[in-house]
Amino acid sequence: MHRLAIAGFLLVLSVSGCAWMKGTATSEGRRDAQVPVAPNSAPQTTPPPASTPPTPVATPPSPASTLPTEAGSSTDNGSERSSTPAKTSDAAPPPPPPTPPVNPASRSSSAKARSSGDTRPAKVAGAATAETRQSGSSPAPPSASSPAPAPASTPNAPPTLNLADLEQRLRETRAIGVFTKLSLKNQVDDLLNAFRELYRGPDKHPSAELRQRYDLLLLKVLTLLQDGDPPLASAISSSREAIWSILADPDKFAKI
Amino acid sequence: MAPHISAFTLTVVILLGGVPFAAADDASLGKDLKATIALQGMTCDQLVESKRNGDSDYTASCKDGNRYHIYVNAQGRVIVQKL
Repeated sequence: MHRLAIAGFLLVLSVSGCAWMKGTATSEGRRDAQVPVAPNSAPQTTPPPASTPPTPVATPPSPASTLPTEAGSSTDNGSERSSTPAKTSDAAPPPPPPTPPVNPASRSSSAKARSSGDTRPAKVAGAATAETRQSGSSPAPPSASSPAPAPASTPNAPPTLNLADLEQRLRETRAIGVFTKLSLKNQVDDLLNAFRELYRGPDKHPSAELRQRYDLLLLKVLTLLQDGDPPLASAISSSREAIWSILADPDKFAKI
Repeated sequence: MAPHISAFTLTVVILLGGVPFAAADDASLGKDLKATIALQGMTCDQLVESKRNGDSDYTASCKDGNRYHIYVNAQGRVIVQKL
């Protein structure tokens, strides 16, 4: 009986040890409210392929369609999220009314509020917009009766951007190692210094070379995140133009 | 005898349980170093060995024969030097 108890204990220990090994690289909670950005920051959606088979129910879900949504899942684990069935834009809750843009001061205050552990209900709304974007990129089954499908992927709410939130999530993600994060930070600082140099001069217009550097850096970040933290990669990808609009505007850049 | 066996078994289980942790650390470090090398625009097809020289200071050997010294300098920059 005593041995049986010990064996049971060891079994529990082993199972709990194995369970501990399940990575929760993206288990960090989502942070503070979303900030609408300029309407010219269009989401990075791709048109649905025309060769998609018309029976989406029978086909296995594509990676884009299985992208999880915060509204649909209470956990942020990427492995668990991949099993979450994708929702269509019809199932998404109605987007909230757009809030006025905030200045960096209010952004920093939201970052402070984030550290105090607020529940951030507006994040779900942000997820809805992201979900809308995701559903827009998922292939739509073509049907003969409706040759010209309505652009249901058009986001009703403006894409959101919260630099402090993205920065915090980048800091906390476990998809990128410490050396890599530091190396990325170096490159981000280099790019920001290049913008500072530019805005010290007479010509305030960013060159194509700067835009190329920005795109390349973002591509590196997305490459590093796309496997380990797909939600964060998606968030950064959808904020690409919004971030650039801040960098390319000397006034907005000065407030960073 | 039974308590000895139990203690031995417990030790083995604990040690074996620690192996995945160590392996995961090695894997994540290797992935980290490899990504760092790639971020600096250098090539490393597969990291086969990494040696810790000190705090934030590693020597990485790649399968293609390339060796790199990866460290953080005094200014806080990650430096990748080809050896």
